[in-house]
Amino acid sequence: MKRLVLARREIPTRGGQPVAFLFGLAFALLVGAILMQISGDPAIDVYHRMWERSLGSTDTWSVTFNRAVPLALAGLAVSIAATMGLWNIGAEGQILFGATAATLVGRLFPDWPGPVLITTMLIAAAIGGALWALGPGLAKAELGVSEIITTLMLTEVAIRLITYLEQGPWKDPEGFGFPTVTERPPQAELGDLWDRTHIGVLLAFATIGAFAWFINRSVWGYELRIAGSSRHTAAYAGISMRRKVLGVLLLSGAVAGFAGGIELTGTAVRLNAQISNGYGFAGIIVAALALMRPSAIPLVALAFGAVQVGGQSIQTSLGVSPAVSTILQALILFGAIGAAVFSNYRVVAVDRQVPTG
Amino acid sequence: MILALTFSEASVIGLLVAAVQFGTLLYLAALGETVAEKSGVLNLGVEGMMATGAAVGFIVAVETGSPWAGLLAGAAAGALLSLVHAIAAVGLGADQVVSGLALTILGLGLADFVGDGYTDDARRSMFRDVELPGLDGIPWIGEIVFRHSPVTYGAVLSGIVVWFVLNRTDVGLGLRAAGESAATADAAGHSVLRLRAAAVMVGGAFAGASGAYLTTYLVGSWSQNLTAGRGWIAVALVIFGAWRPGRVALGAILFGFTLALKSRLSVFGIDFSPILLDMTPYLLTVVVLVVISIRARDKPSPAPAAIGIPYRREER
Repeated sequence: MKRLVLARREIPTRGGQPVAFLFGLAFALLVGAILMQISGDPAIDVYHRMWERSLGSTDTWSVTFNRAVPLALAGLAVSIAATMGLWNIGAEGQILFGATAATLVGRLFPDWPGPVLITTMLIAAAIGGALWALGPGLAKAELGVSEIITTLMLTEVAIRLITYLEQGPWKDPEGFGFPTVTERPPQAELGDLWDRTHIGVLLAFATIGAFAWFINRSVWGYELRIAGSSRHTAAYAGISMRRKVLGVLLLSGAVAGFAGGIELTGTAVRLNAQISNGYGFAGIIVAALALMRPSAIPLVALAFGAVQVGGQSIQTSLGVSPAVSTILQALILFGAIGAAVFSNYRVVAVDRQVPTG
Repeated sequence: MILALTFSEASVIGLLVAAVQFGTLLYLAALGETVAEKSGVLNLGVEGMMATGAAVGFIVAVETGSPWAGLLAGAAAGALLSLVHAIAAVGLGADQVVSGLALTILGLGLADFVGDGYTDDARRSMFRDVELPGLDGIPWIGEIVFRHSPVTYGAVLSGIVVWFVLNRTDVGLGLRAAGESAATADAAGHSVLRLRAAAVMVGGAFAGASGAYLTTYLVGSWSQNLTAGRGWIAVALVIFGAWRPGRVALGAILFGFTLALKSRLSVFGIDFSPILLDMTPYLLTVVVLVVISIRARDKPSPAPAAIGIPYRREER
């Protein structure tokens, strides 16, 4: 009598992750189609429309590229925290607070010339994001409080903070009574590279490149890699874990906050709680699919941007819930998890009576 | 800030009643998460399972006219959804944080997909309060404690059952062992993967039931983003309650109180933004976690030691 078990491969299959990702995509499309079949929605039409409205025609490339920006930066933020084995689950909140900080700058200096104002707003956004991660960073570094829970909780706080600002202190006096924040200064708008693809795309690439250089080439990055891989080696080398933990979470928060600044100056005209429409959470999936490697993040972010942008178009044109896109994003990850098993493990048949010791 | 406090007996009782109602919502989900985490599996999918349970529970309640059917369907939907986490994080050994978060995204998506355009009126298929005969006549306490929906009584009962199973049965012993040291549990003859998968699904059922309670009693209708982060509070409550069903219940009432207070500020003549108050459960969680870890600095953590660590027999 034989039974099948998983045995870990000594070396994971090379190039396994891209295959796993593609498998995840196929898995998601298949399960999504089954779901739509059950609910009586035209799956083929939906996918066709999603493709057309995201990557399939040059008209909509800009929207997709722009959407990939916050996803890539959120993914980078998550992977930065992961260098120290930490989970920044609250990139969503840091994006929101980053955008809030940028809005504050816009309100304080509405007459500054565009380039100066934008630069200041983006810096403020990064500082804001770092500030939003400061509490969880200190709590983790000094007391060992789980950063998973604290960063998550602060996301909910950030959402409500913006709602509060909308209804009270920052309410637009010309908003016809609607609770919206006053628009940012019109000159604080990121320029376009081509079509409507804004400079944020370049900024995202630059940020990812800078971090890749930093982690591989700088002394701090070197220490980080040591500290992240072995606590003991780090202690032996005299590297302070506490400062690394705090530093990494601050940097992670800053990158997420920066994304919030780009959203505000790039695609949005005013601050609202939807300025980060789940990007922080999707960023975790993006980072996981990229195996936390900065170099792989842009491509995964682009794919997720396409799924999100494509999903927005199916409600108006086909009457299908845009939630399909949300479901697909999660299913891509689960499909990839399933497939990745085969690059890390292989199936072997063993005898029933396996020595368990 | 505070203009004129208007405390009346009725309004204070109303507030405490609502605290128990919201507490029930949080407790059901947190109790389920306690079971999952006790077995060594962190499931950050609570928010998503709650949302799916809310949508499915509501639809079934409306279609069948029975809130009980809705509650059961919500629990079943939550359990089914949690099966995805069980397969990914327990069976395949994927990272529990990533898998759980993806589960939340999946659950929120499914809830919106299933509930899309579903706005039926449901007043006739909602849970009603049941007064426990004899006990509800006790002044104050009778109204606050003994006049609730059957779900609240069920939640209390569930808490006792979970405590008993965890602490007084072989299954519970095996489950806790799986959460403390999977290899030891395995050596002792417990099937770690099966126990963990079962614990995750129990957690899913509770989260789904909690969501169904939200739509078939607390709110009485379905809308997008109805859970609004309550699932996250439930996850935090488990830590707050030190993984003990009794203490988690205490936390649920406390956090339920802050949720209840939000909608009643004006009743008490308190001029304070309800939105800012809505932040308090989340801020409170952070503060409480910090305080707990300061106080417990030199003591062993109450967290299950093997939480977050996938188990594979080959790697022993």
